[in-house]
Amino acid sequence: MKKWIAVMLAGMMTAAALSGCGSTGNTAETEAPAEEADAAQADTSDVAEEDAAAEDSAAEESDMAYVQGKGTLVVGITDFAPMDYKDENGEWIGFDADMAKAFAESLGVEAEFVEIDWDNKILELDGKTIDCVWNGMTLTDDVLSAMECSNAYCNNAQVVIVPADVADQYQDEESLADLTFAVEAGSAGEEQVKALGLNYTPVTAQSDALMEVAAGTSDAAVIDSLMAAAMVGEGTGYEDLTYTIGLNSEEYGVGFRKGSDLAAALNDFFASSYADGTMESIAETYGVQAALIEQ
Amino acid sequence: MELIMEQMPIVIRSLNIGFIQTLKLFFVTLAGALPLGLVIAFGSMSRFRPLKCLAQLGLPGWLTEFRPISCVTRIVVWIVRGTPLMIQLLIIYYFPGLVLNNPIWGGGESGRFLAASVAFIFNYACYFSEIYRGGIQSVPAGQEEAGLVLGMTRSQIFFKVTLLQMIKRIVPPMSNEIITLVKDTSLARIIALQEIIWAGQAFLKGSQGISGQIWPLFFTALYYLVFSGILTILLGRLEEKLNFFR
Amino acid sequence: MPILEVEHLCKTFERTEVLKDISFSLEQGQVVSIIGSSGSGKTTLLRCLNFLERPDSGVIRVNGEVLLDAGDPSPDPDSVIRRKRLHFGLVFQSFNLFPQYTALENVMLAKELLAREQPDYKARKKEIHEEIRVLAEELLRQMGLENRMNNYPHQLSGGQCQRVAIARALALKPDILCFDEPTSALDPELTGEVLRVIKELADQQTTMLIVTHEMAFARDVAHHVIFMDDGYILEQGTPEEVFGNTREERTRQFLSRFNQG
Repeated sequence: MKKWIAVMLAGMMTAAALSGCGSTGNTAETEAPAEEADAAQADTSDVAEEDAAAEDSAAEESDMAYVQGKGTLVVGITDFAPMDYKDENGEWIGFDADMAKAFAESLGVEAEFVEIDWDNKILELDGKTIDCVWNGMTLTDDVLSAMECSNAYCNNAQVVIVPADVADQYQDEESLADLTFAVEAGSAGEEQVKALGLNYTPVTAQSDALMEVAAGTSDAAVIDSLMAAAMVGEGTGYEDLTYTIGLNSEEYGVGFRKGSDLAAALNDFFASSYADGTMESIAETYGVQAALIEQ
Repeated sequence: MELIMEQMPIVIRSLNIGFIQTLKLFFVTLAGALPLGLVIAFGSMSRFRPLKCLAQLGLPGWLTEFRPISCVTRIVVWIVRGTPLMIQLLIIYYFPGLVLNNPIWGGGESGRFLAASVAFIFNYACYFSEIYRGGIQSVPAGQEEAGLVLGMTRSQIFFKVTLLQMIKRIVPPMSNEIITLVKDTSLARIIALQEIIWAGQAFLKGSQGISGQIWPLFFTALYYLVFSGILTILLGRLEEKLNFFR
Repeated sequence: MPILEVEHLCKTFERTEVLKDISFSLEQGQVVSIIGSSGSGKTTLLRCLNFLERPDSGVIRVNGEVLLDAGDPSPDPDSVIRRKRLHFGLVFQSFNLFPQYTALENVMLAKELLAREQPDYKARKKEIHEEIRVLAEELLRQMGLENRMNNYPHQLSGGQCQRVAIARALALKPDILCFDEPTSALDPELTGEVLRVIKELADQQTTMLIVTHEMAFARDVAHHVIFMDDGYILEQGTPEEVFGNTREERTRQFLSRFNQG
């Protein structure tokens, strides 16, 4: 993915340079130096290689040192109760947010929360505009291959959402065959319906999938159980919807840049805060203690 | 309905915050793109021919008549107008960190705003430049000649004679672009700039205790409508004001 | 000494020779009419004198000073050309008034911009502005436009526009005032008022170079008439010589067409 983007961008830069009606001099033709930032001057056709080189060097010089050097851990999130959401004062809170603050403190840096477009999370990480994705992220194969992930810290399941009045008809996997599903593109839910060979429409967010069911444009949706608990049923925006069976069980983790040493540091932090009970007490604050995974 | 009335204050507050971002991006883009567009317009009209002196050597016309500044600007305008603004936003924001390993914009809101401003200013300046070029070229050559024989310098002719006539001619097409810009600002959400559409969409997904509500998103249209209404009136007045001459 | 001397002027556009070895001179206070069919090079000649075109060869002298020697390999920079231009004024066929300025402002604009280059401009700003306004008003009055000073060009008739344009050219006090078919864009009714104004200027000894199709006018006003054909000066002399005692067959042909019409 990253390579592809790099190659594409390099192509565009080359086109731009060529169209510049004359070369501006290939200063970096001699050797591709591994120093960062200098790549700005580099011959664009080498950018893909440069990028790989830069990636290696970033790993060598340690992501933790980089984060500590700038004094902030930039945490990429979305508005996702109860993991990351804003209180009345506009302060980010939630199980993930509080843990991230504690982890940042343990590193001696400040946590800075940045709302991102979920589709661009890997781009944001690789582009160094954020340092980690900490937002109830399911550890799928795609995520594991694209990021350096922490140990799982929370259990989750993909659950089927249907209108409450027909819920009793869909209590097992066989009964789902005739339904049309709405699932978030690239989500763990999409993997599940694909594996079961069900009919589905990909939408841009889990919330959109809920909208589809509420509006009747899809029969059912598959979303995270934690989210379902917060958004569906009595006292929520979707009182007429409910969730039935879980399709699988899965786990949440935190994602860092590929090769980052912060993942290991977080595992240590998880272990110690689980041991002294702080992790559990934070989980209780947000009602997710039952899903917590032993560290 | 009752639920909507209850949610209204929260939603409005949130949309207002988003709309301020939208307005900021709109005005910053205008402030940057209007002058930059003029510079680009002059670039694309440049008659600078550095190889002209080689004409005596009998080199072919296409070489001695070559106009590098005009050529480069026109190609840049072609690229910028020929590719989606959404892609330009992604490239400008992610390219430095991703490929050059130097995330100049940073991850915070101000960095995203800055990157979005750069992309928008550059994109719109290219569109504006073509409108300017058309406007300048539609002013009769006799106006410049009259200025020249009256001993005016080229810059005096431009600022005292051509400029206002050009402005008069470009107000209608400019109005079009400016109103398009109001709505185009929503593209900046691709790099997570939290403008009004983002703010409206948040309630669909769930934010501040409200989730699954699509009406806030539809409600944003009202903001756009009112604002472009105001702009239409203002630009109409400008057009009227310039009606004192023909 | 003649006020204007033109020697061996040549000009080629692409492959068309437009001016071929043009030489003539003009005395202070004289009026010269240039006649000839369309495409004979009359307009190009005026444009060369006003530095709107650069001739390929030839010399232009004003008051004995060489303004332009086309053979000189290093052309003058814009700023020098700008100064030299001020020896000439040019009135265009299509007026070319600035539409966003009133008649008065049209006459004042160039003069005011030039005044900014005076060393004492900052100190005497108001005074200078006032002087220029008085001069401009006087010129417009002379053109019979005292009631039209604050009108915009689109509110004026063609004849009035052309008179404003003449005032605008006069405001810079050029040594030689050139007219490029000043009445060709006008209705016959409006032609008279413009010609009357030019006649008055001639009576005041204004040095003028007039390209025109008004044969009667040329004959009346000019001290000297030049007939151009296909880029050459075919014949020149006093109006009596050219109109009454035509030497060249081509000139006769041209004039007879006018006499019939």
